[in-house]
Amino acid sequence: MATKPVFSQEVSNLMSPTRGNPIRTCIQCGTCSGSCPVAPFMDHTPRRLIAMVNADLEDEVLASNTYWYCASCYQCTVRCPRGIDIAEVMYALDRYSLKKNRYKKGLVGPGFSETFVNIVHGTGRSYEPLLAPSYIFSYGPKGFFGEVQTAMGLMLKGRIPLLPSRVKRLQGFRQMFSRASSDGGAS
Amino acid sequence: MSERVGVYVCHCGSNIAGTVDVESVAKWAQEELGPRGVVVARDYKFMCSSLGQELIEKDIHELGLTRVVVAACSPHLHERTFRGACARAGLNPYLCELVSVREQDSWVHTDREAATLKAKAIISGGVERVTYHVPLEPLRVPIDPTTLVVGGGIAGIQAALELADSGTRVVLVEREPSIGGHMAQFDKTFPTLDCSACILTPKMMDVGLHPNITLLTWSEVEKVDGYVGNFTVTIRKKARYVNTASCTGCGICWEKCPKKVVDSVYEAGLGIRKSVYRPFAQAVPKYPVIDADSCTYFKTGKCKACQLFCPTEPNSIDFNQKDELVELKVGNILLATGFDLFDARRIPQYGYGRLPNVFTSLEFERLCNAAGPTEGKIVLRDRKTVPQSVAIVHCVGSRDENYNKYCSAICCMQSLKFAHIVQERTEAEVYNFYIDIRAAAKDYEEFYNRILEEGGHFIRGKVAEITDAARLPGEEGKLIVQVEDTLIGKQRRIPVDMVILSAGLEPRHDAKEVGKLFGISCSSNGWFTERHPKLDPVATMTEGIYIAGCAQGPKDIPATVVQGAAAAARIMGKIQQKEIALEPVRATIDEAHCSGCRICNNLCPFNAITFHEDRAVSEVNPALCQGCGTCVAACPAGAISGTGFSNEQILAQLEGLLFRNLDGRTKRVVEPVPA
Amino acid sequence: MKQYAYFPGCSLEKMGLSYHLSAMETTQRLGVELHELEDWNCCGATAYFHVNGDLALALNARNLAMAEKQNLDVVCPCSGCYKNMSSVRAELQADVHAAGRINSALEADNLHFTGKSAVRHLVEVLVQDVGLDEIKSRITHPLAGMKIAAYYGCQMVRPKKDSEDVEQPTFFEELMATTGADPIDFPLRLRCCGGSLIISSRQPALSLVHDLLQNAVDHGATVIATACPMCQINLECYQRQVNDVFGTKFSVPVLYFTQLMGLAMGVAPKRLGIGSEFVSPKPVLAFCDRPSAA
Repeated sequence: MATKPVFSQEVSNLMSPTRGNPIRTCIQCGTCSGSCPVAPFMDHTPRRLIAMVNADLEDEVLASNTYWYCASCYQCTVRCPRGIDIAEVMYALDRYSLKKNRYKKGLVGPGFSETFVNIVHGTGRSYEPLLAPSYIFSYGPKGFFGEVQTAMGLMLKGRIPLLPSRVKRLQGFRQMFSRASSDGGAS
Repeated sequence: MSERVGVYVCHCGSNIAGTVDVESVAKWAQEELGPRGVVVARDYKFMCSSLGQELIEKDIHELGLTRVVVAACSPHLHERTFRGACARAGLNPYLCELVSVREQDSWVHTDREAATLKAKAIISGGVERVTYHVPLEPLRVPIDPTTLVVGGGIAGIQAALELADSGTRVVLVEREPSIGGHMAQFDKTFPTLDCSACILTPKMMDVGLHPNITLLTWSEVEKVDGYVGNFTVTIRKKARYVNTASCTGCGICWEKCPKKVVDSVYEAGLGIRKSVYRPFAQAVPKYPVIDADSCTYFKTGKCKACQLFCPTEPNSIDFNQKDELVELKVGNILLATGFDLFDARRIPQYGYGRLPNVFTSLEFERLCNAAGPTEGKIVLRDRKTVPQSVAIVHCVGSRDENYNKYCSAICCMQSLKFAHIVQERTEAEVYNFYIDIRAAAKDYEEFYNRILEEGGHFIRGKVAEITDAARLPGEEGKLIVQVEDTLIGKQRRIPVDMVILSAGLEPRHDAKEVGKLFGISCSSNGWFTERHPKLDPVATMTEGIYIAGCAQGPKDIPATVVQGAAAAARIMGKIQQKEIALEPVRATIDEAHCSGCRICNNLCPFNAITFHEDRAVSEVNPALCQGCGTCVAACPAGAISGTGFSNEQILAQLEGLLFRNLDGRTKRVVEPVPA
Repeated sequence: MKQYAYFPGCSLEKMGLSYHLSAMETTQRLGVELHELEDWNCCGATAYFHVNGDLALALNARNLAMAEKQNLDVVCPCSGCYKNMSSVRAELQADVHAAGRINSALEADNLHFTGKSAVRHLVEVLVQDVGLDEIKSRITHPLAGMKIAAYYGCQMVRPKKDSEDVEQPTFFEELMATTGADPIDFPLRLRCCGGSLIISSRQPALSLVHDLLQNAVDHGATVIATACPMCQINLECYQRQVNDVFGTKFSVPVLYFTQLMGLAMGVAPKRLGIGSEFVSPKPVLAFCDRPSAA
């Protein structure tokens, strides 16, 4: 009998089984949260978020800023005494969150990541100027002007590309992509 | 003359009957295997029950059965039971064969039809085989009443005393200069807060004075030959360079010795001893040893202060002493070799070895100890400053896939004890950082409660890192413990003066080698392997070798004492019986067919085969042989056969498994093959 | 001459151009031949992994497959690219199903991944393949007295690939020591700079950058040496913002380790891309008695 997978199972399905031990083996020791440099800024610590995932609290988990604040520094993963790849769990939650288009309001990460992906889809390389609109307006007026100032400084120093660069075999590149995204699996 | 075989198929409740149609199997055996010698075939709910066994006994009497096949669980469990039933009914127990239709059939298959057919095949094989069984008598070997106990910690001490008190002789071998083990290093013991030395030293004294105990300290076992009841062990008595016949233990030698050495064993690296030393004041025996590696005389030929000042007549210092090899005959051996502490340097983020005021549990025990390097004062590495805040970190190197997966059993209680001692002797704030509090034995939970009442902070979180890199106000000059307080859900940085790491227990660094020496194995975690984890924790798979204490796995002192006593009781039982019956399932070499190629000699995992140079043939020692069959299979001339697993038996079993016995049906009349 | 497929990554095109220039200058002088991987594509940074797992795998598998065609190992100067490519390689080697899916996608571009090409970080190649002794022998203008805070960052070292030491590595300090400078004690050397959080979670990222700068200054650093363009940009280009938010007055030069090595090998600062910084590298150049490029 086919049943809809529960939230924790769906999250696990978005991770490769070769990346660390299953999340349900977590003993809630807190090493991850103790090591995380961004934890003090998260509304739920990584450990607590994993407990919430294991409890299938989909709404609360998706509404948290935790997984969008993860810097992927992997300090949690290398120290976890149960061998869970916590950074990967955060990535899986990001993917789930974007798949369902559900995330905390005001976060810059989702829009920024999607814009980035669209740019690379188009040319095969990233291009900073096109990325700017996805975030530059979310810092408030002071932040906006500060960012403009930084951008201008970078431009003056020749550190911002004026024209986007692209992959030469763009056709093959794009075809590869449409196959990869249509193939299902752990996407 | 054909044999009369009884077949008994067990339901084992639904364990077998749930997958195998046991009634039809029994019926099939009666009908189809009748011409092969089966006189009766029954099925029954629980063959191992008294009533089940009585079925067999009744049939032996009334139907004149000469062979019995029981199709049930694995022989590991009930082979002895059914052999016993046969013996009671007057049939030689080795004429009974137990075939497994549970572990090898019903428990590993789900297809009922296939499993039932397989059960028939298994029984058919058993019936064919059992007709080639011959009556066997267990081998009886005498038990030497002397016992060797290896390791003079509390486990070994307890076992030695109990054995000695029962009237039998014990040889206790200890590699350090004194017995006492780790327990002699502790200050207080949980949960009673007894002074460790105060409860240990009376037992040590008893060992030293007991007429039935030969104490060999500063000694190690070098070689073990023989088998249960008859071991020959070679012990190396390392040279003490002290004449124990004249030495009075007065201590002038080490007073005068100019060479100081860091005592990395007893003082856990916190204290100093001399080259000639006695590990601690209450050492048993009282005689010191000279550590030749550091001794000035041995290195440069100069000094000899100890000898110069030794007051005894004759002089007790003897630099010419040599190691002595002693050969002993013992009947049983107990390994009580204890544990090593997890090396906390393997967790660099905890700073042990780099940050001075991070201590291990053993180091802290020495700090607390009134006879220790600081005379019991709790101070930092500078030996002066009293800490105003102390962090106690649980689960260091335990419960961690990156180091040791297991829980070390004692660290929670030890940490609570430390919390108590710190609060008793200083004004310091105490922080316990834990994942769970394991307080499962008698009076342990109450102790935990007491510590909670005494004050102190309990923060549930595994410490992420310990650093001296100050980032926030109040952290300068402190050790900062960074952790998530999981019960609040916030990352916290707690500045403290001193950190105590409750490091885990590990097997001795040479446990594998020691195990090999005695012929026992270690588990994947490195602890000695017991015969059965639940029902036989002190015996091993090797007859005559026992284990007790932390050598078998981490445990507290009460459990250690219990195991020491249990091992002693087991050994005493063997000694009382004066002889032991060994399984007669053994390999024997037919001299006439042995070509002397010696291929079997090195294959034997139990070193049971010797080569006779004069006759150029090999011989199996039946007492050492465990009947594994390796040599039987390896012999190119087929000169080795096993009683209990002869070629005829195996080949017949194969015929039966393949149902080839059913072509032709009627059993060939055979004479039993000579063993 | 040791040959490798060189994967510059998007950042080294412009944002981190000085890393590329200085990497070329130093590797040429050390017998390391870097052939730019033809038609390489973006590694996906963190963004791709936020959006779609298979796409992220395909992106990196394409680069790896192309390197395999050239029969060369891949060298990444950027820690982010290094981490992405090496972990994708490991995942595809371990996960047969994923490899199957990705290879059928790669077919569309006539490529196939087996994992033959290893992924190396530029620092790793210099330390392991060239060797510290060889590097030391090429130093002609030692930066004696310069205090370098060797900043590993996170993704050069983590996640663990083998049994390497992820808590107390020393190789980066040892590499910096070859220049004749003094690598200082820098306790936060393995702590994240925030990476892309500087865009998506600015407050936390600025706090991380602040802590790093403070730690470097507290331990007397003349310069922070980095091996990743993200780290360089975060630590350098946002010092002003950090000063604004935290009321600090940081002005710490942040250079690529290859720039420092280049200076010690006698290469002119301009050729090493020195001159495009926000924070003046004057304190660094003072150790080289060379005219300031700023």
